[in-house]
Amino acid sequence: MNKTETIDRLKTIVKPYINNVEAFENLTEETDFINDLKINSANLVDIVLDIEEAFGIEIDNQSMEKMLNIAAALQIIETKLAGK
Amino acid sequence: MIGNDVIDLELAAVQSNWKRKGFLDKIFTAAEKALIATAVEKDLMVWALWSRKEAAYKIFNRQTNLRLYNPIAFECSEMEYADGFYYGVVVNQQSTYFTKTEITDAFIHTIATTRPEDFRKVYWLDDTVTVLKKNGIPFRKAQNVAKPVSISDHGQFRKIISI
Repeated sequence: MNKTETIDRLKTIVKPYINNVEAFENLTEETDFINDLKINSANLVDIVLDIEEAFGIEIDNQSMEKMLNIAAALQIIETKLAGK
Repeated sequence: MIGNDVIDLELAAVQSNWKRKGFLDKIFTAAEKALIATAVEKDLMVWALWSRKEAAYKIFNRQTNLRLYNPIAFECSEMEYADGFYYGVVVNQQSTYFTKTEITDAFIHTIATTRPEDFRKVYWLDDTVTVLKKNGIPFRKAQNVAKPVSISDHGQFRKIISI
């Protein structure tokens, strides 16, 4: 899976939880889940669980604490997929 | 130091399904899950614990300038009721935070401080106050002194405090 495909899958996962459509439409790797997409902090747990299900990986606490933006999520997904 | 967090219970009920598989395991310790399991009002217990973790995290963020998503690292004690509020502590690796939580039918609101005696020094601000931010952390100027501010928004509620 290349990076563009991973971003597309990630966008599909994140979309139901966003509260800022404009930031979502202009999404980049720097886009922050809470500050930019205005995602409720309790919904970040849902995103972590959705990523785990969609990619068949487990996101441990150490990885989860970095899960604040698209770049961090991509890196965690790549690392976990490589370790499978 | 202060932090606060409000939860609109009506919105939380539609926005989050805490009964979802894995949800509680990601954010609550074994002791916290035991508090939820034995609570009569499980929804209120879940959101009271969450609100306390978030309020404590806001102090942590202010103290360290670190942004982390690690709610499980902030462990809540059991709460004790006194004069309309639920009091407890939240502990992480470095610090102990004191929490004062108000639970109503419509919302849960927690104020966290680094010292229990600070609760009486906390005051409310309304929307007209000019709030500035440094590294994303809110404060305001009063007689040229920077005063810490904590803002929490959820659903129809907005709570702003200072000390």
